[in-house]
Amino acid sequence: MLEERILEFARLLRKGGVNVSVTQVTAAIQAAAAVGLAQEDFYIALLSTLVVDQIDQPLFDKLFRLYFFSLEPGVIQKNINYEEQDTEQLTVGMQLVDSIEGIGTGRGAGASPYLLLVKAVRETNYPLLRRLGEMGVESLGELEQEAVAEIDKLVDQAKVAIGWYQAVNTLEKIRVQEKVSEIRYSKWLECLSFLEKYMESLLEDLLVKKFGYDAIEEIALAANIKEKEFYRLDQLEIQEIRKQITKMARKLASRYARRYRRAKHGKIDLRRTIKNAMINGGTPVRLKYRKRVISKPELILLCDVSGSVALFSEFMLQLVYTIQNRFSHIRSFLFVNTVDEVTEYFKNNSIEEALEKAFAKARYAMSPFSDYGRVFRQFEKEYLPTFSPQSTLIILGDARNNYRHDEKDSLQRIGEQVRRILWFNPQPRDEWNTEDSIIGIYAPYCRQIFECRNLKQLEEVTEAIL
Amino acid sequence: MFQSREELEKKLAEYHYLIDRDVATVVYLAVKLQKPLLVEGPAGVGKTELAKALAAVTNSRLIRLQCYEGLDEAKALYEWNYQKQLLCLHLKQNQSKSWHEAKDDIFTREFLLRRPLLDALESTEPVVLLIDEVDKSDEEFESFLLEILSDYQITIPELGTIKAKRVPLTVLTSNNFRDFGDALKRRCVHLYLDYPTFERELEIIRLKVPGIDQLLSQQLVSFVQVLRKQDIKKPPSIAETIDWARSLLTLCVSRIDADIVQSTLSILLKYQSDIDKILPRVSSLLPDD
Repeated sequence: MLEERILEFARLLRKGGVNVSVTQVTAAIQAAAAVGLAQEDFYIALLSTLVVDQIDQPLFDKLFRLYFFSLEPGVIQKNINYEEQDTEQLTVGMQLVDSIEGIGTGRGAGASPYLLLVKAVRETNYPLLRRLGEMGVESLGELEQEAVAEIDKLVDQAKVAIGWYQAVNTLEKIRVQEKVSEIRYSKWLECLSFLEKYMESLLEDLLVKKFGYDAIEEIALAANIKEKEFYRLDQLEIQEIRKQITKMARKLASRYARRYRRAKHGKIDLRRTIKNAMINGGTPVRLKYRKRVISKPELILLCDVSGSVALFSEFMLQLVYTIQNRFSHIRSFLFVNTVDEVTEYFKNNSIEEALEKAFAKARYAMSPFSDYGRVFRQFEKEYLPTFSPQSTLIILGDARNNYRHDEKDSLQRIGEQVRRILWFNPQPRDEWNTEDSIIGIYAPYCRQIFECRNLKQLEEVTEAIL
Repeated sequence: MFQSREELEKKLAEYHYLIDRDVATVVYLAVKLQKPLLVEGPAGVGKTELAKALAAVTNSRLIRLQCYEGLDEAKALYEWNYQKQLLCLHLKQNQSKSWHEAKDDIFTREFLLRRPLLDALESTEPVVLLIDEVDKSDEEFESFLLEILSDYQITIPELGTIKAKRVPLTVLTSNNFRDFGDALKRRCVHLYLDYPTFERELEIIRLKVPGIDQLLSQQLVSFVQVLRKQDIKKPPSIAETIDWARSLLTLCVSRIDADIVQSTLSILLKYQSDIDKILPRVSSLLPDD
């Protein structure tokens, strides 16, 4: 029984993109047996055995809560004291809410929940915040099964229902007027993010109770950002992806090191050979070789930053500059319908600063519609003579040319000048060459074209350039 | 070793190492399941100290292997003592012996230099094996640790496989300097040590800096806690909070204010850029009351 539950839970984690091995599941079962089923201990037992990477913990927490609290509440023993204490605090807040709700409905105008929200945040009154969160979620009415896919949207609706945006505005004003200290302000922000999370978890909880395992499964799948398409990411997920990219970059960098360290042949290192020969009484039994100097590729990034592609270009730039010591030289260009070099921004700035500055200051757009033909021609004329024939040119973009002239001859001449051209396309493969996408016309001049729609594919293509 | 988690918690507390219930559960699990304990977390939260405390409360010998780039089997596991072997051969030159005899003579345990890992496996007394900062070692070394950590045995070609006499309590620490392989991580029980909560840190300060004023300790801990949330290169660790508390005690400070903090900030922050960032904002970061 318990084993099955843990197994099923592990399967859920895998759906969410967390790698869980069989050994880990075995360890989790042993661990659960060792510490018992009290809520906290059981949680720790699973956490310490199933989660290998700190980044996966938020997802683990969420799925743990949904699976063992909402779906299968019989498995673990809940901590009763904790709940009791909670309700006691809550009653005070509830009375308040109820009284104001009464006024609100009775007199038509007057107190709106947003004033209450402001009050709750200013007093950092968590029971009241919880009550407000419940109000927000209740206002959504009956939930359909389709709702599972749009939890973010529903949270937003719930926010509007309790006057979230008004409240945030008011709080900003109060902050300026009353010169609120940074510490207190950061507490306010904590309150708000708590409320947001709380509403989200309430919603998830409701959905799981109503629709069972299917709902959890869908939530897990939705949380798998590694396979989520770039244009569907929300703000929080973009943050998460940025962190993942830094991590991925480190991984790519060290994998590279391992592959090349083995091959040490060539020039003999005389000094070390003789030194080593002393061990064998002066006979050089083993030859020592000089370290090989690894030739590093030169990279030129030509990034489309129009609309839907911009985010992908940003990720790619971040990734490449994080591992920039793996390349002898990187030059980067941004374009929409005109092209500008942004290499300079990355020289003395942190990557975040550089990205911000590059996007703000570079002159890459005279209109919001990309024009590949024009860009290639300009690129050939202004920059091509400065590239070495050893360099790899990477073009990031969807090749949607807005029905303009393609100028493929320009691209051909560029291709003859550099070692190779690689094209990373963030559009799904089956949409290539439909509508105004002309990737097929450019394809003959590229060594390879990759589909690159999500983090997983981004990792794969990066390996291709190392 | 320990009968229950409570016992472990109590014993560590007697040694003045305070841990949360959750942390105790993980440590207890590692002991109980005889799996290595992998401790991760920011610098200065007491990862290494945990291993030392465990050794002390279990009356075990602490064997420490500090990892660094370039660490290999010869330094971590064992090495043949070439010089001694040569000497031996020289002495035996006159007694004409067959190759077989000679070979057996020089590849025996007598000529084996035991490095920390072998030492830990062969020990008959209880040991705590601390492999410090695993993330600083090379990838090759990491894969080589796999055999030791999963089966508690090592293979020496000339001698055969050596199995652990008793399973050592193994603690690995990592600063996330480099992301190391999943294979190694999967063999361990995980513990993430974060900065302590306000109450816990207060307790630690009162324990380590006896004689500190109640209110002062509260003030200084809450300031450090706020400081950690700022966007700085190196947030102050527990050790730095203790240092700061000691300095304030020495300076006979009874309440902290902006001036005091500004003049002693370099004890908490080790990077000039961090200090420059925080210095003008000190008064707004101080606790309200």
